Amino acid sequence: MRIKLTSIMVDDQSKALKFYTEVFGFVKKQDIPVGEYKWLTVVSPGRDDLELSLEPNANPAGKTFQEAIFKQGIPLAAFEVDDLAAEFKRLKGLGVVFTQEPMSAGPVRIAVCADTCGNLIQLYQPPR
Amino acid sequence: MLDSSALRRLCSARDMLRELHDRPLSIQHVAREASMSPFHFIRQFEAVFGATPHQFRIQARLDRAKRLLALSDYSVTDVCLEVGFSSLGSFSDLFARRVGTSPSGYRRRVRSFVRVPSELPRALAPGCLSLMAAAFSALPTEPSCRYREG
Repeated sequence: MRIKLTSIMVDDQSKALKFYTEVFGFVKKQDIPVGEYKWLTVVSPGRDDLELSLEPNANPAGKTFQEAIFKQGIPLAAFEVDDLAAEFKRLKGLGVVFTQEPMSAGPVRIAVCADTCGNLIQLYQPPR
Repeated sequence: MLDSSALRRLCSARDMLRELHDRPLSIQHVAREASMSPFHFIRQFEAVFGATPHQFRIQARLDRAKRLLALSDYSVTDVCLEVGFSSLGSFSDLFARRVGTSPSGYRRRVRSFVRVPSELPRALAPGCLSLMAAAFSALPTEPSCRYREG
């Protein structure tokens, strides 16, 4: 058994695919229509070790959870970056809104931004 | 940077935009409730939620219309009026553009599914990761399945 797939709820899968590929820079892996929705996943560029499913939050239970967590300012996922300062500058330039600018948490640098799909995402740079 | 207070105010504005109101809701009013100028409010809302307040409000109405079509016995005209549209033609056109089928077509499709009483139809509440099973069930079962090929 191994961890190969995880997911994040999004309020609009088409919008999410655009943001997660064109802004975050991930690469589309799966895009299979299922009725009104899709089985939609992205992977990190240049590596295919973990897939992220962009799943619809149409289920009211999921939407309630997602909105409550968002309102409390709590990130729903965390993505590792090599250079947080550079990513912060790049994403800010693309209009991404941050709720936490880069800060140190012990040896780790972290920042938090909105993904435009109903989530806050924590970006972190591990110690070099 | 968006501080926690501004984040909460934007979330409250989102709730307000989602609600039905007897009178038209002006952007000035919602922005004032969020303690922002209309210009700043629209910009911040779009940057955080990926849609302008107007786009968000329209989508919220369509989502409500889908639920009513699936779960109530309201006529399409009643659904149209209930979710805040005054013209059946513009409601039907917009619904068809966004959902891919007419309101009555959507009702027929959703109601054709087997449904457990008291539970939402699957079309309204997809089972998240169960989409994976549905997606791959529709693919041909070959030894080198598409999932591994990537």
